[in-house]
Amino acid sequence: MAMVPATYFDGRSTHATRVNAWRDEDVLRWRSADDLQEWSAPWTAVEPSARVTGIPFTLRLRDGAHLQIDHDALPADWFPRHHLIERMADWLERRWMAALAGIVVVVVSLFGMFEYGLPWAADRIATHMPASVEHAMGKQSLAALEGRMLMPTSLPPDRQSHLQSVFWHFVNGIHGAPDVRLRFYQAKAIGANAFALPGGTIVFTDDLAKAVPDDAAFIAVIAHELGHQAHHHMLRQVLRSSGVLIVAGMLMGDVTSMGGVAAGIPMFLIDSHYSRHFEEDADRFALDALAQQNIDPMAFVHAMEALERAHPELQGEELRYASSHPLTGERIARATEASTRFRAAHASDGSHASH
Amino acid sequence: MHDETMASGVYLPELDVIPARDTTEVHRLRFHGHASDYFRIWIVNVALSLVTLGIYSAWATVRTRRYMYANTTLGGSPFDYLARPLPILKGRLLTVAIFAIYVLAGRIAVPLQGLAALVVATFMPCLIVKSMMFRARYSSWRGLRFFFSEDYMGAYKWYLGVYFLMAIPFILYLLTTAAGHPGIGILLAFAGFTGLYPWIKGHQQEWMVENHHFGGKSFRFDSEIGNYYGVYIKAAGVALAWFVPCLLLFSAVAVYITKGNTQAFNPKMPSPYFLLGTYATMAPAYLGVWTFAHTRMTNLLYNQAQLGLYRFRSTLEYWPMLSLYLTNALAVLFSIGLALPWARIRMARYRAEHLEVIGEGDLSDFVRDAFAHGEIGATATEMDSLLGIDIGL
Repeated sequence: MAMVPATYFDGRSTHATRVNAWRDEDVLRWRSADDLQEWSAPWTAVEPSARVTGIPFTLRLRDGAHLQIDHDALPADWFPRHHLIERMADWLERRWMAALAGIVVVVVSLFGMFEYGLPWAADRIATHMPASVEHAMGKQSLAALEGRMLMPTSLPPDRQSHLQSVFWHFVNGIHGAPDVRLRFYQAKAIGANAFALPGGTIVFTDDLAKAVPDDAAFIAVIAHELGHQAHHHMLRQVLRSSGVLIVAGMLMGDVTSMGGVAAGIPMFLIDSHYSRHFEEDADRFALDALAQQNIDPMAFVHAMEALERAHPELQGEELRYASSHPLTGERIARATEASTRFRAAHASDGSHASH
Repeated sequence: MHDETMASGVYLPELDVIPARDTTEVHRLRFHGHASDYFRIWIVNVALSLVTLGIYSAWATVRTRRYMYANTTLGGSPFDYLARPLPILKGRLLTVAIFAIYVLAGRIAVPLQGLAALVVATFMPCLIVKSMMFRARYSSWRGLRFFFSEDYMGAYKWYLGVYFLMAIPFILYLLTTAAGHPGIGILLAFAGFTGLYPWIKGHQQEWMVENHHFGGKSFRFDSEIGNYYGVYIKAAGVALAWFVPCLLLFSAVAVYITKGNTQAFNPKMPSPYFLLGTYATMAPAYLGVWTFAHTRMTNLLYNQAQLGLYRFRSTLEYWPMLSLYLTNALAVLFSIGLALPWARIRMARYRAEHLEVIGEGDLSDFVRDAFAHGEIGATATEMDSLLGIDIGL
């Protein structure tokens, strides 16, 4: 009969009693070290704590009393059927191999979650979102920007109506084009720029309207923004980045307690990773749409070059890191490739026609 | 004899044994955890939580917390964390749902988020009480649980009501500005704010401590409101000492990054270098000030508290704390989080070793109190860990 050294607390005071405990058939018995007192409890009434490396076991008895037994002193056969899940966890926790595997599992599952799981879930939600939500979002962001960042346009009315007619001609030519509208604004703060708002509004700044060399380049920019509209990128981005925030909040609140500063950087990187994919998506859409409507995708290259000229500060190394847009060089390369394909196809079309 | 009456009107049982000792004993808290053990426990539990999509995280929380509690000992006996995983899981799921609604509301319609924030603010004192009750209820030492009184009135008074007082300096500012003296207005507002803030913080600590009970006794708090003014005046000095050099450094970095070309700066989409520069230069200042206030306030909290015959002595020091926080932050940052267990163990060890319980007894004179120790839901405590409410214990 194994005697197990333990400390007994009666649950009524903080007085500690050194005892020896042993198992007597279906009864747990313990006796004070000075042999003056003895207690017992039916085995089934004893509730042991789960094993955790390095910390003592607590055998809870009725009425708040408990026996505390050192981590290594509890006989293995005393409570073999308790805490089966935590027993497995403890088995893993005691092994360095499991810890190493744990690191791999954490890295892989975080990657899987942010690369596939979260975008998938967010896109599922986006497809079930009523269109009115998207419209409301767009309306609200436009209202927030108007009068602050976006001022009434200073483009001459005939220039505006010309661009509008070019825009509508292009949009109407696209099969299954999204429900869109084009708005011009003067925006000193963001310079030559164009962006799509949820719900179909495309904002085009005066600076960009002046910077584009021709109508084809203008249409190339529009085609890119139409790509965003057609694939509901803004709504999906909002849902994805909310997802990142929610997941990060849960991770930080629970398993870590890093400050917001440290959490902000990875969240920012993940967000721009998503938007970069959307930009590539929109580029693909634009190049296809241009070619479909018999516009040489070279126009896209001209638009990119015009943007670069208008934003000298964005040139160079700075764009390389965490940019939400793919590198300009890459985009130009893809557009040039598309242009080459377009010209080849056109040349063969042309030769067919001449026969 | 100590028959203490509490706010709730519950009489505590009289002590039948008063140890007659005339020597004062010092019981230092000790922390026995090892970073290597805790690392394995932590990483395995994080991994299991992730592969179960967060379901296991409740069990993980209980295991990691039990490790920290049980490795903290007082008078040779460990503390114990008694919470059950299932209530924590329920609380966590509810919290995720609330947080998700809040975040999405903000992205879709800002007024909705404002409304949600208002609702949360109204329930905040309630949350604080529930959360403190949960923590106390499931923390025990030598088989006795801690207890936190359900004092909602006090919580609303000290965690919501007093903040309306903060409006006074603001109104003063508006009035004097309207009268054409904006300079005086700012001074008045600043004076009002600095006059109120330490007073609020002091009373919050008092409320927090005096609602805690253990072993048939209520914690008492002999606060000297002047102490809080001392802390915050010094903190202002520390802030100045940190922010001036950091701001200089920041502006130098900002000029270097934008190369003097302010036109190039785009506030909507600042360059990553600029963001990194801002973090790198301002983070030390923030950490320096926060650590100072936190260290001194923690010391005040314990040093003014009393439990029966026992007093506490907290001797956290600024520079060791700052170097701990700084090295911890850097280690966690550069190990992409893997150093987190080590950081927590170091902090727990330092804190335990600088906290003492002083009294004439041998700590065995606490008895079970007369409070009903019912089960308490975990939602509030989950909310406060997510929102990072600074409860200060």
